[in-house]
Amino acid sequence: MSGSTGKWREEQVLIICPGSQTTLAQMGCNELTPPQHRFPTRMFPDPGVEGQFRPFHTYKRPKTTAGVKGEGEDDFDWVEDVDSLEGAIYPIQAGHIVHMEAFLAFLEHVHQALTTTYHNTPIMLMASPQWTKADCEVISRYVFEKTKTPALCLLHSGLATQYGLKWPNMTVVDVGFEKVDVTCVYEGRVVGHNDVGPGNVRDSEKADEERKRGISGGEFFTKRLMELLKEQGFDHEMAEQLKKSPVCEVLPYAAESKELMELPTEGGSATGSNGTATSSAAPTEGPKIVTTVVGADDDLGIDGDEKVVNEEGVLDVASLVVSGQTREFLAKQEKLKAEKAKAGRKGKGQETDAAAAAKARLPNSKRTKTIFHYEELVTEDVPIAPPAAPAPSASAPAENGVSKDVEMADSGAAPAASTDDAGTTPDEPAAKTGGEQAQPAADTAAPPAAAQPPAAAPATERISRRVRRDIEVGLERFLFADRKEIDRIVTTIYHTVQGIDEMYMRPSCWENLVFVGNGARIRGLKDNIMQTLQARHLISPSSATMFTSELPSNIGTPSGTGSQTPTGSFTGQLPTSSSVNPLLQAATTAASLGVPGGLQGQIVGADGQLQTSHHFHSQTPTNIKLATLPTYLAEWTKNGFEEAMFLGAQVAARLAFCIHNLDPAGLEAQRSMSFSRVDYNELGPKGIRSHSMLI
Amino acid sequence: MAQQPLPSSVQPTDVYGGDEVSAIVLDPGYINTRAGFAGEEMPKQVLPSFYGHITSSNRDVFGDQAMYPRADFEIRNYMNRDSVVEDWDAATKIWEHALVNRLGIPRPTPPSKNGLNNKPKPAAEGEDVEMADEADLDETENYEKPMAENPLLMTEAAWNSPKQREKAIEICMENWACPAFWLSKTPVLAAFAAGKATALVLDVGGSNTSVTAIFDGMVLKRSVQRSPVGGVWLSSQIRSLFEASEPKVEVVPTFMVENKKPVEAGQPADARLKTFDFQISPSFRAYEEERVLKEFKESVVEVWRGPGRYLAPGNEDYAKNLPGRVFEMPDGSNQMWREQRFKAAEGMWDDNAAFPSATEEGKITKAQTVPGLIKAALDSIDVDVRPALLANVVVTGSTSLLPGFTDRLNHELTAMFPSVKVKLHAAGLSSERRFGAWIGGSILGSLGTFHQMWISRKEYEENGPGIVEKRCK
Repeated sequence: MSGSTGKWREEQVLIICPGSQTTLAQMGCNELTPPQHRFPTRMFPDPGVEGQFRPFHTYKRPKTTAGVKGEGEDDFDWVEDVDSLEGAIYPIQAGHIVHMEAFLAFLEHVHQALTTTYHNTPIMLMASPQWTKADCEVISRYVFEKTKTPALCLLHSGLATQYGLKWPNMTVVDVGFEKVDVTCVYEGRVVGHNDVGPGNVRDSEKADEERKRGISGGEFFTKRLMELLKEQGFDHEMAEQLKKSPVCEVLPYAAESKELMELPTEGGSATGSNGTATSSAAPTEGPKIVTTVVGADDDLGIDGDEKVVNEEGVLDVASLVVSGQTREFLAKQEKLKAEKAKAGRKGKGQETDAAAAAKARLPNSKRTKTIFHYEELVTEDVPIAPPAAPAPSASAPAENGVSKDVEMADSGAAPAASTDDAGTTPDEPAAKTGGEQAQPAADTAAPPAAAQPPAAAPATERISRRVRRDIEVGLERFLFADRKEIDRIVTTIYHTVQGIDEMYMRPSCWENLVFVGNGARIRGLKDNIMQTLQARHLISPSSATMFTSELPSNIGTPSGTGSQTPTGSFTGQLPTSSSVNPLLQAATTAASLGVPGGLQGQIVGADGQLQTSHHFHSQTPTNIKLATLPTYLAEWTKNGFEEAMFLGAQVAARLAFCIHNLDPAGLEAQRSMSFSRVDYNELGPKGIRSHSMLI
Repeated sequence: MAQQPLPSSVQPTDVYGGDEVSAIVLDPGYINTRAGFAGEEMPKQVLPSFYGHITSSNRDVFGDQAMYPRADFEIRNYMNRDSVVEDWDAATKIWEHALVNRLGIPRPTPPSKNGLNNKPKPAAEGEDVEMADEADLDETENYEKPMAENPLLMTEAAWNSPKQREKAIEICMENWACPAFWLSKTPVLAAFAAGKATALVLDVGGSNTSVTAIFDGMVLKRSVQRSPVGGVWLSSQIRSLFEASEPKVEVVPTFMVENKKPVEAGQPADARLKTFDFQISPSFRAYEEERVLKEFKESVVEVWRGPGRYLAPGNEDYAKNLPGRVFEMPDGSNQMWREQRFKAAEGMWDDNAAFPSATEEGKITKAQTVPGLIKAALDSIDVDVRPALLANVVVTGSTSLLPGFTDRLNHELTAMFPSVKVKLHAAGLSSERRFGAWIGGSILGSLGTFHQMWISRKEYEENGPGIVEKRCK
């Protein structure tokens, strides 16, 4: 704890990257792995102590001792319900800390969950650009007063990404849950920032309505999907899953077409002669929902085709997505479906083999309709069967993927219910199209059972089952990519980069765009944004540009550095013109500067340094590119660089806390990277302003 | 190497020393309003002074983020062309937006929220959150004094009227309950940012260009000269240039373009424009066009460096041979600009070279050009002071960032005052020039000795708003 010179081992550093939904955290930065822990960023008010918070929903339950219900004050158990969201407080909304007490309690919770050593754990905490100076001071004060942390480093999330991807100049587009941050970084400094989002929610004039309208990022698209599919009974969770599923994608920007994307048409999708039949049938069909209860006795009412789907689909969705075999899987899926239809079951009976086969070959973006597998956890209270009752089908819960959720003790009742459930399903889809039939029969059976014996020790048990439904979705899965919303992001990127004060910084920010944040995982979103930027804002090399336009104007440039003065020594004509032919000079310097006219691509990135030495006046962007992502971290390549800020936080943590043997200048720089306890004692909370990585 | 800007590793990080109180510096201008904490090197918040007004719901929206095409949307400005506050209601709102919402000045916690007065809540936790939110909204609305802990340093134009100044302190004290207040003139602060107590400050801003002599930190009142020859006027000159060129150049603002295709220079644009199912108000369009003109100024317009005026014989022909610059409009049409790019800015220096303006305020006289202003300013002050001032000419304001501006100024000044040593001081970093006055305010506000100067709340209560006229000279 000796502070100033104390160095820590890499395993000792606690890294926390808070987001408005999920907080990434890990102890140690020695491996540069993807985050080991993900905490939902939420707290619940402690019902026992006012002003305190707990990580889970906690409620009182009467103590039962030997079947007798306790009645006194003390006869309660506090029960933590890990799944419940009741009363949850989300301390960060769209990047702003809206509930500081809860946020601090949350930090404490993460800290306690991960640290084992008593007081030797420096903290690397990533800060959103929306955090105010006061926020940072409150946090640093809390950290130093309430924990034994020896040092704290606050790191700007844009800079964190930059550290993770190691390009000195870049534009970071962070697509978050409810906001999009655009940060321009030049040589490790934040030179421009804008955000798309609801703005500060503390704004009293802004009604809640306005805030909701203002949101951007991943949640916006979920809401949009929900809105589009409202008639089909989609709720938030369904929309979220659909958004994450491979069938949902943002189509490429099509400059010519009316909707600016090429939506598949019925004619195109069904190439067979029965195309017209399909198209006429399809609109009237409505969504088909096939409910399947995984883990229920398969023999009861579920045919073979479905079973195949179950076994393959449910268990392997994740690995399928990862391994990139989704297309094949979907094709197979579709085929099975068609076969099933052919077999004369109710459903899309009109489709013929040929059409189905043609359909199966088409990629997702060319199909008008596709099947989406929705999975949900149904939790219900089921009375525990009397212990005497035998457990009839104990094998059922064991074979499904959720057996851990279902306790053996209640298998007496649960399988019975789910069997019942499963038994009814084949009839259900035809009858109902709503979203609520997931627990059809069990619903009606279980509540009365649970409510009925209040006197006789209501031994209900909470069980969760995984239910899967196949839902057919149409073009909504492309249309959710609202043009206006993408335009909003595009415009913000444009204004942010073009708003950088120093013009020479702009080209390299345009050439190293990077999209992070899990909202950027939406298929095709970043490609679409890039295509839009290129179609709308790219300055093409003009026919008149050839030699002259981007001439580095080193002819009598105004004084570059702070305090000098033109000496007034100009006599006669300007230097260049008389001696050298300007065109010739342009051609020669252009080659070494990488201006349009030939050698652009390779050089600009390499000699960004050279450009800065000249005054730069050209119009930007002449080149819009994504930054190349590093390939040497296999685990991150697999994980995707959407969470690159976490990687960057690890790298920065190493630099701030773990590097030894620095020269004096480096030591000084390192000292101002993080805020040590010694500095805190000397400067107080506001020392965080100068001892952090926030700008 | 001397000409290159400071690399970021050498850029000053925190040279102004620590501040004990978090004073806030607010620097309103015609184009931008700058706000931030004293002691920092750059203003944290730079908001456009333009704001949106939605006529249908009679609502104002602030900040760049809100400025997108929408129905019934007008753009207004709370400042007038004289860089003086015109609409105080809007000013109060926009300042509060900048300070409280954007800068995040912590409101002092209202008593009911500080955790000391909490009553045990009913067990129904589900509704709890919403209720708390509502209560919070009410509370902040009723809680009118957002800045009870932060002294405020505000800037004003050198020609601000006493009435305006009193209004400023009133808002600060009555609406925001600031503990202390100070009002400072922008040229003084700009000189301060350049490290000078005595200086001739040339501020080429958005709506005004002004010349002010500062002596020992005091404005020499008679020396204050101003004219509309600033960024906005330059934009109107560029518009005239577009009008005059053959074929006419039309400005299509970026927001109207859906996508574009490359076209040959001088050819008509091949772009797909967006359609809006509502009327775009002229003020919004003008606001957006200004962005394009800004880009044109940044990348094309250049000041004729001299020696001699642009219209002097031979110079124009020479300029025609200089390499031109291509500018591509948002809709893709592009064109080479050669000697015209010098001509656009020449009106700032030579009234004969200015494009004839259709409106009365666009016309300028010889006295309104930059050399004219400087001459008038120096003529109005004591002869003995002039050398000291000319040795400390501080150039600030974002329009002074035009390439060649300082060179030309140097030529003009040495030609006008051949016997005096002229020394210009122009910051190299663009942001230092754009935010000169704010930076000066930031330095001043963080100085320990300045704390004795503040007008405290108590003094205000004793003397009323008139105190600002007595104290802030």
